[in-house]
Amino acid sequence: MNWAKASLDKVERTRAERRDQSVPSISDDDAQNLIKEYHPDYVGNERKIHVGPNADSDPFPMELADLLESDSPVPKDFQPTADIETDVLILGGGGAGVTAALGLADSGLTVHLATKLRLGDANTVMAEGGIQAALGVDDSSRRHFADSYVGGHGKNDTGLLRHLCEEGPAGIRWLTHLGTLFDQNEDGTFRFRKGGGTSTPRVLACRDYTGLEIMRVLKNAVMSSATHVLEHHAAVELTDDGKDRVTGAVLWNTQTGKLVTVSARAVVLATGGSGQLRLQGYPTSNHLGATGDGLILAYRQGCSLVFPGSHQYHPSGSSYPEALVGQLVTESIRSAGAQILNMNGERFIDEMTFRDVVAAAIIREVMAGRGIETPTGRRGVWLDTPLIEQTKGEGTLVKQFPGLIHRFKRYGIDPTTQPLLIYPTLHYQNGGIRIDTECRTERTGLWAAGEVTGGIHGTNRLMGNSLLDIIVFGRRVSESVQQNCPERGAVTLSRLNQYRDALSGLPHKPKTTAPQLYPRVSGMKFELKGIPKPEAGTDVSSSGDVKSFEPPDPFASR
Amino acid sequence: MSQNLETAGPPTVEITVAGKSIKAREGETIIHALWQAGLGHEIQTGCVGGVCGACTVTLRFKDGRRGGTDLACLRPVEEGMEVFPFPVDALAGPPPVSDPDADKLRAVFPTVDRCTKCDNCTVACPMDIPVMDSVLRMQKGQFEEVAEDFTTCIHCGLCRAVCEDKVLPHTMGLWVRRSLGRSVDHPALDQTQETTMSDQAEQEWEHLLNCDDKERLQRAKAFRAE
Repeated sequence: MNWAKASLDKVERTRAERRDQSVPSISDDDAQNLIKEYHPDYVGNERKIHVGPNADSDPFPMELADLLESDSPVPKDFQPTADIETDVLILGGGGAGVTAALGLADSGLTVHLATKLRLGDANTVMAEGGIQAALGVDDSSRRHFADSYVGGHGKNDTGLLRHLCEEGPAGIRWLTHLGTLFDQNEDGTFRFRKGGGTSTPRVLACRDYTGLEIMRVLKNAVMSSATHVLEHHAAVELTDDGKDRVTGAVLWNTQTGKLVTVSARAVVLATGGSGQLRLQGYPTSNHLGATGDGLILAYRQGCSLVFPGSHQYHPSGSSYPEALVGQLVTESIRSAGAQILNMNGERFIDEMTFRDVVAAAIIREVMAGRGIETPTGRRGVWLDTPLIEQTKGEGTLVKQFPGLIHRFKRYGIDPTTQPLLIYPTLHYQNGGIRIDTECRTERTGLWAAGEVTGGIHGTNRLMGNSLLDIIVFGRRVSESVQQNCPERGAVTLSRLNQYRDALSGLPHKPKTTAPQLYPRVSGMKFELKGIPKPEAGTDVSSSGDVKSFEPPDPFASR
Repeated sequence: MSQNLETAGPPTVEITVAGKSIKAREGETIIHALWQAGLGHEIQTGCVGGVCGACTVTLRFKDGRRGGTDLACLRPVEEGMEVFPFPVDALAGPPPVSDPDADKLRAVFPTVDRCTKCDNCTVACPMDIPVMDSVLRMQKGQFEEVAEDFTTCIHCGLCRAVCEDKVLPHTMGLWVRRSLGRSVDHPALDQTQETTMSDQAEQEWEHLLNCDDKERLQRAKAFRAE
């Protein structure tokens, strides 16, 4: 990183002095002003939309507004007929969807889980820092609530948030029973980390691979259950009974290019977030499929969205090297003591305050010309990781942050000796589909859980509350579905047809179709192949007869 | 290699993916190069962040450099690189047990002793896990070490796919981890349940919830400062 040598020298020179420096403090008022002036939620381009339940009310990010006012990719002459009949159809193969499937495993209900990518290829597996739960000696669910409520600017749905905090310990108990390993102290007790905005250490972790640890356990468990898993099946539309009820979904088999209709008594949306919409050109920490598909599908059915303009820009996205741009550098690295510095090696924000405040402060610093520019023209500020090796002892980073070390090593960057360049990255969808404490949407037959929902986190989420969200509400949705599972209804596209009528009344014609399914930058898109004749998907669930494709041995000539 | 990454510009590198020749920019990954070329569907992709294990590939270089296996989302392109999609399907393992030992592992993974120490698995691992050494530790029942070895395992399946002896290293690694995880007692989890039900808890909820939004925000701020 010779291009940044002058600035890196300043970081080196000031390190000893900064080591015992007190944290830059910021008042509540200053924090609010900082956010209003610099946070992308407040300064980005937005517009109102003119169809559906949120018509002419909340402002939406342009990218999402365009999608909500777009037509479905399902051909107008497509007549859905049930290719698969099931009791419960779960859409989404991340943490929330798989948790829901596990919760339904012994219910006697037939469960199909469809996912656009493979089982587990989701934002859950990418979560690094940890999962919150009020398990500490001096902690309580009320303290957890208070921290999250203040972090969410008091916009949180109190019923949902209370449930999240109260069920945290039970969620962790469930995970440990499944065999999840969380980091422990020498004496075998849980090790809690502090997260940005937690008033006491409350974050459980598995190094910086917490989401990976949880997802691989959940995936392993669900593969041994009776759940029918449909991989490579993207939900492109929900079906309804012609009256007031959701009755299934139309899926697109991404491998064959054909449409598959599923009739279900209950549909659970667990399709996750929308970072790959790359709002305002921001890079993202999200996986390939995070394009907000569930928002589009639910909205067309008449479900309203709460805080549709609220997104989390994680303060520490990687800004260099180019190949890692947008990827997450976990917040717990700041919890461990890494400071954020401008080009002069100066701190400018309390590194452990709320995420939106830290992100806004970084953007301000860069806009004021105190950032560092990379050879490709990206800008950022320093995250002084070598400081941790000095304050916490040599080897701390390798021990506690193996993922960070591994990822940067192949680009010749060693975080134990070299600071990382960071800039906010689009990380999480704070808003989403409105649900009640039973995870019911405003439409009968349709439930939702996880990142696709809105309200739990207000307009800013705390670290470790999203992994808890998917576990607690994934479990909740499975209970609610069992208690309230409706009878099977007709499978029609009457809601879609009504929405299409509404769209035709708009002054402008839709430029695209939605759900978008893939990031635009990938060039991948919806495409029907052959005659759109439905075909049942491949069942990869393991009920006794696992098909394992073993490719040829690449080491045959080694 | 890091020198090359410090300049970006027009595509200067030529690689082939599944037999298709594409131009790429130095410093970008195989996946990003595929996107630029409009060939995103050629390699199965998931997280684009090196943790889901979807985008496994094998590599070959015409100049004789060793290729081997890698993740396309993390591997930067290099001139003359030939990339072959190498997807490995997930495999359900046997359910975890309580208080695992080597005998219990052998009962459900009889192939564990077939390891011929070829070390292909270790070479194939994109996470630098000492896979073969860990298989030997599994044979001896050294499960704490095994659990540590597989902390960073993304279950891409490469170690299993390249094993000629049908040893299932990562599947066993997860079985060991889950079995150990189930066997740990956590007193903290039961204590918390009692305090959640207490009178004080009810009073605190009352205090936090029974007021308007503006007042609640003030009360929450005060509560967390206590």
